[in-house]
Amino acid sequence: MSTGNGKGALLRVEGLRARIGENEILKGVSLSLGPGEVHAIMGPNGSGKSTLAGVLAGRPACEVTAGTVSYAGQDLLALAPDARAAAGVFLGFQYPVEIPGVGNLFFLRTALNAVRRARGEDELDAMDFLALAKEKMKLVDLDPAFGSRSVNEGFSGGEKKRNEVFQMAVLEPRLAILDEIDSGLDIDALRVVARGVNALRREDRSILLVTHYKRLLEYIPPDRVHVMAGGRIVRSGGPELADELERTGYAWVAGENPEVAGGPHRGGATP
Amino acid sequence: MTATATPTPALESLVATFAARPGEPAWLADTRRDALGRFESLGLPTARHEDWRFTDLSGLVAQPWVRAGVGGGAWAGAALPEGPRLVFVNGRLRPELGNTAGLPAGTIATSIADALARDPEKIRAHLGRLARSEDHPFVAANTALFEDGAFVWLPPGAGPDLTIALAFLTDPGAAPAAAFPRVLLVAGSGARATVAEVFIGRGGPVYLTGAVTEIVLGEDATVEHVRLQAEALQAYHVGVVCTESAARASLTAHAFTLGGNLSRSELRARLAGEGGSVAANGLYLADGTRRVDNFSWVEHAVPHCTTNETYKGILDGRSRAVFAGRIVVQPGAQKTNAYQMNSNLLLSEDAVVDTKPQLEIFADDVKCGHGGTVGQLDEAALFYLRSRGVREDEARGLLMWAFASEMVGRVGPAPLRARARELVAARLPSGARLVEAMA
Repeated sequence: MSTGNGKGALLRVEGLRARIGENEILKGVSLSLGPGEVHAIMGPNGSGKSTLAGVLAGRPACEVTAGTVSYAGQDLLALAPDARAAAGVFLGFQYPVEIPGVGNLFFLRTALNAVRRARGEDELDAMDFLALAKEKMKLVDLDPAFGSRSVNEGFSGGEKKRNEVFQMAVLEPRLAILDEIDSGLDIDALRVVARGVNALRREDRSILLVTHYKRLLEYIPPDRVHVMAGGRIVRSGGPELADELERTGYAWVAGENPEVAGGPHRGGATP
Repeated sequence: MTATATPTPALESLVATFAARPGEPAWLADTRRDALGRFESLGLPTARHEDWRFTDLSGLVAQPWVRAGVGGGAWAGAALPEGPRLVFVNGRLRPELGNTAGLPAGTIATSIADALARDPEKIRAHLGRLARSEDHPFVAANTALFEDGAFVWLPPGAGPDLTIALAFLTDPGAAPAAAFPRVLLVAGSGARATVAEVFIGRGGPVYLTGAVTEIVLGEDATVEHVRLQAEALQAYHVGVVCTESAARASLTAHAFTLGGNLSRSELRARLAGEGGSVAANGLYLADGTRRVDNFSWVEHAVPHCTTNETYKGILDGRSRAVFAGRIVVQPGAQKTNAYQMNSNLLLSEDAVVDTKPQLEIFADDVKCGHGGTVGQLDEAALFYLRSRGVREDEARGLLMWAFASEMVGRVGPAPLRARARELVAARLPSGARLVEAMA
């Protein structure tokens, strides 16, 4: 099944199958995402949402067994994870990794300069980078003190997610895949993260929001919503599809797709 | 004891380099002759020797060693921090490369050969007292054969902001050359200083550095000793540091083992006065087929002393490392507090580490412990870095640096810490870029 506007798509996924170890998780995913579009992928636990995000970013544990992914006219699957980043792909992690001993800003400058080198741009020196970082930190109310701490070490759940959006703001991707950027956030933290993401919406930047809950979509309205179940996209539609899910839960998906386990997971507080 | 050692090319050739030194005091000539005899009878260690069980010296013992020649000049790569420094090339002082103008009055940092000629009694009281030839072939060889090295004398109350750097540079000649630099550091009561020893060599033929350092800490003295072994990759390096601490003296010893084909680093520390402390820090990096052997022996002879030992290593390729750390708590050394930690990062399935912590406790009111880890690079962290655009080799270098940086961070004086950082980073993938980015 093809979804979205196929014409001039930035990202086109076709018949993607992938496994982790012996378990086939993606069983033929097709999706396309146009420039500047925001799509949401929703679905119950275990439906393959995070695996799809991982495959697109090149997570080594995810082995692609069939299908193609074309990104800006290139074969995305042929690129190493760092080359994907250099080409403008960004994955916001559901569980950002703690890296003791590596300073947050030092890491980010290393990353930005690696990406700039790969794009044939000049590297930023420490002063220019610091100015840029300070400006971008404001976007998500990140205390500048986080810059000198080790990457994600001892950060709260909300701080980790804000740090992800901060990194996205610095790296300026063309395609941001945000994997459950809302998980573990209270309503205030969610507002801050959503405000950051919305500020980064641009005509030449596409965003794939992977989420379990409709709540996120109230803050970051998507152009399209896809429902994943059993390793496939089982329905696609406009934003109203999220409302339908909110009313019915994922049970109806399970009805159409016997492989889908798990009942309805409704969003938390409704503001 | 009769001579029992099997003659080897190394033993015979090293013994043959022995030369009487007419200018030296008679007591030293006697000491040297005794040491040479001891070296001949002990021979070079084999795997049958418990303290050398994991380290195969057959490459070293097969070499017909000669005394190191004079060596060339122009040592840009040896850049030392500003401040008082002595520079030795192939084991001999090269005054024109050093600078001791900044030394405070009363503090001595000079060639040990010069000091023996001018003021031998200052040295006689200490030389060979802690580094004993009786049961250590490399100490015996060094004592018999050393041509030069450093004598550092810190008068009571010297310091606190005093860093003295000693650089031992090797310019190998055509034949396998051996040098045996000797260092004697005597810190008077309450003196506070940092002494760094940096070992750097040029590529080319194989060479041997057999260094011995004795450190005597008076009451309340605080000494930081930083050993930066960044020899050329074909080198053999055996470095033995022997220390003795009087009451309330504090010793921090760092051993960075970054170069050499085969490297042995020994710390033999004795806590002889109550309230003393030893912090022993080690970092070793090896790849290819390189061998790194860390041996430490800390003796608590009296009550109320503390030992804190942390050694970390990163091993790649088919390299092999040893950590053998012994802490001996003598009878009556109550209220001893001693802890030992050895952590290793193995980057390849073929790298091996033998880690052997040993606590020998003959007192009943002590707190002693040890711990250790052997692990791999965190794959999740590696992917996280790569997903942000960091190339794989650079990401690996960054994670290796994250593991190693704790040990670099423990070096006190900032300029020395920066030098340690450069030398460590130079051994990591994309290290030059790392250093640049950290600047």
